[in-house]
Amino acid sequence: MSTVAVVFRKELKDALRDRRTWLIVLVTSILVGPLTLILLSKFISGLEEDAAKREVYVANASAAPTLVNFLQRAGATVKDAPGDYEAQIKSGRLQNAVIVVPANFEARLEAGETIRLQVMFDETATRAQPATRATLATVRGLTRELGLQRLLTRGVSPQVMAPLDIEEVNLASSQARGAQLLFLIPWLALLGSVAGAISVAIDVTAGERERGSLEPLLMNPISTAALVLGKWSVVALCSATVVLLTLIGFKAAMQFIRSENLSALMQFGLDEFALFVVMLLPFSAMIASLNMLAATYGRSHKEAQTYATYLAMLVNFAPIVPLFISIRDAAWQLFVPAMAQQSVMMRALRGETVSAVDILLPGAIALAITALALAGQAVLLRNERIIFSR
Amino acid sequence: MIEVEHVSKSFAAKVDGKRARVTAVEDVSFVASDGRITALLGPNGAGKTTTLRIIGTLVRADRGQARVGGVDVQTDTHGVRAQLGVLSDARGLYLRLTARENIEYYAQLRRVPAQAARRRLAMMAELLDMGALLERRVEGFSTGERLKVALSRALIHDPPHLILDEPTNGLDVVSTRALRRLLQHQRNAGKCIVISSHIMQEVEQLADEIVIVARGRTVAHGSAQSIRDESGTASLEDAFVKLAYGTEPVTL
Repeated sequence: MSTVAVVFRKELKDALRDRRTWLIVLVTSILVGPLTLILLSKFISGLEEDAAKREVYVANASAAPTLVNFLQRAGATVKDAPGDYEAQIKSGRLQNAVIVVPANFEARLEAGETIRLQVMFDETATRAQPATRATLATVRGLTRELGLQRLLTRGVSPQVMAPLDIEEVNLASSQARGAQLLFLIPWLALLGSVAGAISVAIDVTAGERERGSLEPLLMNPISTAALVLGKWSVVALCSATVVLLTLIGFKAAMQFIRSENLSALMQFGLDEFALFVVMLLPFSAMIASLNMLAATYGRSHKEAQTYATYLAMLVNFAPIVPLFISIRDAAWQLFVPAMAQQSVMMRALRGETVSAVDILLPGAIALAITALALAGQAVLLRNERIIFSR
Repeated sequence: MIEVEHVSKSFAAKVDGKRARVTAVEDVSFVASDGRITALLGPNGAGKTTTLRIIGTLVRADRGQARVGGVDVQTDTHGVRAQLGVLSDARGLYLRLTARENIEYYAQLRRVPAQAARRRLAMMAELLDMGALLERRVEGFSTGERLKVALSRALIHDPPHLILDEPTNGLDVVSTRALRRLLQHQRNAGKCIVISSHIMQEVEQLADEIVIVARGRTVAHGSAQSIRDESGTASLEDAFVKLAYGTEPVTL
């Protein structure tokens, strides 16, 4: 049996007897995937229900029969706003927008004056955004209708008021709209690869030194490269297992939930599943090697954990950056690990085409980094300052 | 045979917050012959552990040479390691593995045939009285029990040369006797054994040759008798204090 195989077998046995390994595997596979999908599907269906219901809250509705009549004609259900609506919106208890009607609405309308109509809402209440947008649009519709009526009574053609006829054509397919939220799925799979690697990576490196077994181990006539390779195989295997279980969890939950909303919004069939696996396996290999390199360099278990946390934060953060600076799939993203995997997987979820370069380039970069990190580690383990923790 | 010729080693370290070089070994030389137990005797910080690490190839000497069975430690590290069994200062075990699994791991890394490894382990379990421990996980073992496992692990490939750094640290009387029995058995089998210690009685009881190391230098080399004669003192302890600290023993 080769040295790599001997080290692999021993480290695997050791990891499988570690309760922490099982805890992470169970938590990620059982909780993360299915739980996220259930929450997501609830969120999305709630979103669509809210928009479909078109409930419009009006404060002091009795003062404005014209408005109420218009809203009802537009297909909305008019509801009386609660007395403390302002406080309720601020605290988030009331998600919908509230139209505030001034006391003398009808009289001023009669007199042909301009009436200030407040629409109160909380822009950060994302769930209610479609409903709020609909309310605002309805109110604008009313003001246009009233304006036209006034022009007509003065004998002016309504065209004077409409130099531009704006037609909104929303090109985002319904899949694309839902996929904005679905960034969670590839993102959680990426995090799964980190979660699966961390504790094993630290145990086989910094842990080995801390329990005093590194020095005797290196006294054996074996190459540090073989040693590193054997250990890495186990860490990468753990990371890949967690990734696979996370993906299987997603797939199983999709089957189980059978939400029309969800399946209309994202494509996660066997093709996408396979693509995710192909994208994530080289990433797991890279994460395993980087975690080990950091933990080998770290003086102690604690220092190793600190480095691992930085690395995890980078993986957390990189995929979200494009969301913030709202760039869409720029070519350079393919060169940035984590960001590349995320953007390609997102494209697949959105039902867009994924080319061979999209798969091969991020994979090749991840594997190149893996090779460098492993080589670096083999060199570190020949350094007496690293062996005896300086 | 282990030969050490004028080795020296210094490390970069921080002393009072400033970068400085600390000399661990200044000039150590000795020869340890086959079939003998040679003890490096010296106070803490004398350079014993660093010297043993240089022989064990994990630390490179700045100057000087060391050979194990005629193989140079700087040029052929794997050749040296193949002939060495080392019980180092760090003797950590894998707590989730059984004693047998810990030992077999090293046997496999050193490509000892499974059959031979089993025979050798059975022999050592007998000598060290640890048969009952073999199938238990190491977690929860006492210091003495752990030492027995670490020692068996270091010797599983039946090496011609043995290096043991402070082997009796933290051991009770029974374990110390078991260790002594094993070392004498190995010596009688013709092995070249080097141990380090700062405990006088232990060295006097166990060692055939004594090398006194102090402040990074070899200050005496010979049998307990010849060192006493040479320094003109009545006991090895007096000789040690005189040679290691350069002061005359105070007679009370």
